[in-house]
Amino acid sequence: MKYSRSLSILMLTVLVTGLLVAGCAPAAKPYECTDEWGCAITEKGQTIKVAYVGPMTADYSAFGTDISRGAELAVKAHPTVKGFDIELLVEDTQGTPEQGASVANKLAADPRVVAVAGHTFSGSTEAAIPIYEKAHIVMMSPSTTLADLPAIGPNVYNRVAFSDKLQGQMAANYIYNTLSVRKVVVVHDGGAYGKGLVEGMAAAFEELGGTALGKEGITPGETDYSAPLAAIAALEPELLYFGGYDADAAVLVTQMAGAGLGGVKFFGCDGTYGTNYLDLSGDAAEGTYSTYVPIPPSAVFDKFKVDYEADYGDPQGKLSPFSPHGHDATALLINAIEDAALESGDSLIIPRKALADAVRSIKDFPGLTGMLTNDGKGECAAASPLFMVVENGEWVEAPGQ
Amino acid sequence: MADAAMADAVQLRHKRFFNLGRLVRPTIGVLVIAFLMWRLLTVLFIQQAYGADTWVRFAVSGIILGSVYAVIALGYTLVYGILFMINFAHGDVMMLGAFAGYFTLEAFNGAGILNRSLASSILSITVAFTVGMLVATFVAIALERIAYRPLRTAPRLVPLISAIGASLFLENMAQLVFGAARHTYTNPEVAKRNIGWTLMVSGKEVLITYTGVLTFVLSILLMIGLYILVQRTKMGKAMRAVAEDKEIAALMGIDVDRVIANTFAISGALAGAAGVMWGLHMGIVYHFVGFLPGIKAFTAAVLGGIGNVPGAMLGGLVLGVIEAMGPAALGLPFQLKDVLAFSILVLALIFRPTGLLGEVLTEKKA
Repeated sequence: MKYSRSLSILMLTVLVTGLLVAGCAPAAKPYECTDEWGCAITEKGQTIKVAYVGPMTADYSAFGTDISRGAELAVKAHPTVKGFDIELLVEDTQGTPEQGASVANKLAADPRVVAVAGHTFSGSTEAAIPIYEKAHIVMMSPSTTLADLPAIGPNVYNRVAFSDKLQGQMAANYIYNTLSVRKVVVVHDGGAYGKGLVEGMAAAFEELGGTALGKEGITPGETDYSAPLAAIAALEPELLYFGGYDADAAVLVTQMAGAGLGGVKFFGCDGTYGTNYLDLSGDAAEGTYSTYVPIPPSAVFDKFKVDYEADYGDPQGKLSPFSPHGHDATALLINAIEDAALESGDSLIIPRKALADAVRSIKDFPGLTGMLTNDGKGECAAASPLFMVVENGEWVEAPGQ
Repeated sequence: MADAAMADAVQLRHKRFFNLGRLVRPTIGVLVIAFLMWRLLTVLFIQQAYGADTWVRFAVSGIILGSVYAVIALGYTLVYGILFMINFAHGDVMMLGAFAGYFTLEAFNGAGILNRSLASSILSITVAFTVGMLVATFVAIALERIAYRPLRTAPRLVPLISAIGASLFLENMAQLVFGAARHTYTNPEVAKRNIGWTLMVSGKEVLITYTGVLTFVLSILLMIGLYILVQRTKMGKAMRAVAEDKEIAALMGIDVDRVIANTFAISGALAGAAGVMWGLHMGIVYHFVGFLPGIKAFTAAVLGGIGNVPGAMLGGLVLGVIEAMGPAALGLPFQLKDVLAFSILVLALIFRPTGLLGEVLTEKKA
């Protein structure tokens, strides 16, 4: 009895105090948000939250770790907006759509998250876009290339990576014209990115007059693909085109010869480029192709490479080719926040629609990956894909491009 | 009174259920057989998608995979035979064995012994197997001591939950210690993946890899060894006695705790060998590598008749071959091979709950 009485007194006190505080609050905030998507309000002492979302653990962690470092360096180079610190939240998706959606929900629930530099991986992004679209959080993806993504997020989705429409088209051209291959089998990992890419590539290849067979799916994350590879060998292709990521590509190339595909070329994509693939597949990687996004040489990029190695110990480009993209995506967002943010008394107001518009109207932004201009529909990519081949255990530019 | 009424109601429900059950089984059977006939006919006779060489490749891939499943399945079946408990952490014991083999080979490679001569290569592989088996044995004994022995008298669901917990613990510990990245096995040059004998089938070369042959032969030897151990030795006799009845065995002067610890040690050693085989043949190990083979091997053990040693071998081989040939024979995408494997588990449970070679279990075991 005694306890319950003191408890009720305590609760009453809390309630009254709460009411008083709530009653006083509007008087302290004269700013009225007129933005149709609402405003993110950062009060004095608080930080502006920008998130990077990607696979930080599990099979594909090399991508997430690398891109998040690029994002961190961008924040380090531009740490404040109008006197308010930028805080970079790094969230893990393990590369899966499920985790992608749950991280998006978590970020959408935080009213101070203004922008997301992400996600990395198209499947995870596809699942997340509708959530950000509803929460009016603007996105700038460093690495998702699935052609359909801008259509799923017509208002908030932007990217600094190229579209797979381009990659598929160029790969088909290169394989048909330069490698003179007429019969390919396309394989994907069942994910949104891989499937989208190989379908685009197969269509382009058939248009050129070649034969694209298969569209065979494999289950990602396995260590034995000998049976599906034997089925592919029965089609007698000259080349195997794979849409997916490095860990699975490494298993495929190491088992190809054993399954009767010795002498058949392996052509990967931007998801299979990197040193992780070389480490995992060893000798079998020799003569296999992938896609790389060349970064134009510049003084800022040289400085970025030096900073990257100084901060993280690894040489830039070891884990994945995308750390400059992580940097650019984050830098573009910070730049847009700078444009859109308004000061009001002690707090910083970021109108969400104005911020999205600022991102959409970016023009000639000097990024590491080139001069970035948003086409108004979300595509900001400056660089186009370059095909690479493994020679003596190193990625070198494939001849004849 | 109330009790009697309730018992009547229960009985009535049972009766209805069984009546329905009598209809369900033949219906499922007819549907499955019709589906199989239709697909097989389409693929094998109308489409004729694959030549003989491809079928041989599928079979080779399936037999190798199946022999690894069989070795893992033996561990499940041994433990089940004695404790009537499913050791879900078994696949992760295999993963730790695979890692032990990986580090051994790395060490030999670093010391320059791996490729010095044929004898040193053979020595490296032998040591890798020994270390893998020892580490896995140790882990299995520790698991029994820590996670299962204190729960020996608890209801049967409790050690099962403990096993799932142990499995998650081992996976996450491995991720923490070895990192989330994948590791590639360094094979000696003489036993590299993708080299081996070539077999000519209908004018085409089919590669039979050395690692595959090693895996298959070794797994057969392990199975034979285990069979002799269980059937012909004193320890095997004690194990069979404990499997029959723990109390009576204890009264006969058998140290039940020791026999159970021995069983775990043997199942661990088998899992360790399976892990090193997996690494040598498939090439890639990581913290999650034991999960799916573990579940598949459990399926194999049930398919063969859980608690039955030859059954586990047969179940493993059958499952491996079905997984490799099934999707192709039925004209299904290869992504559905796991669906196929687990459908077999469901069908086995419906039509032959005792498994292919299963004994009719006594009330107590079932």
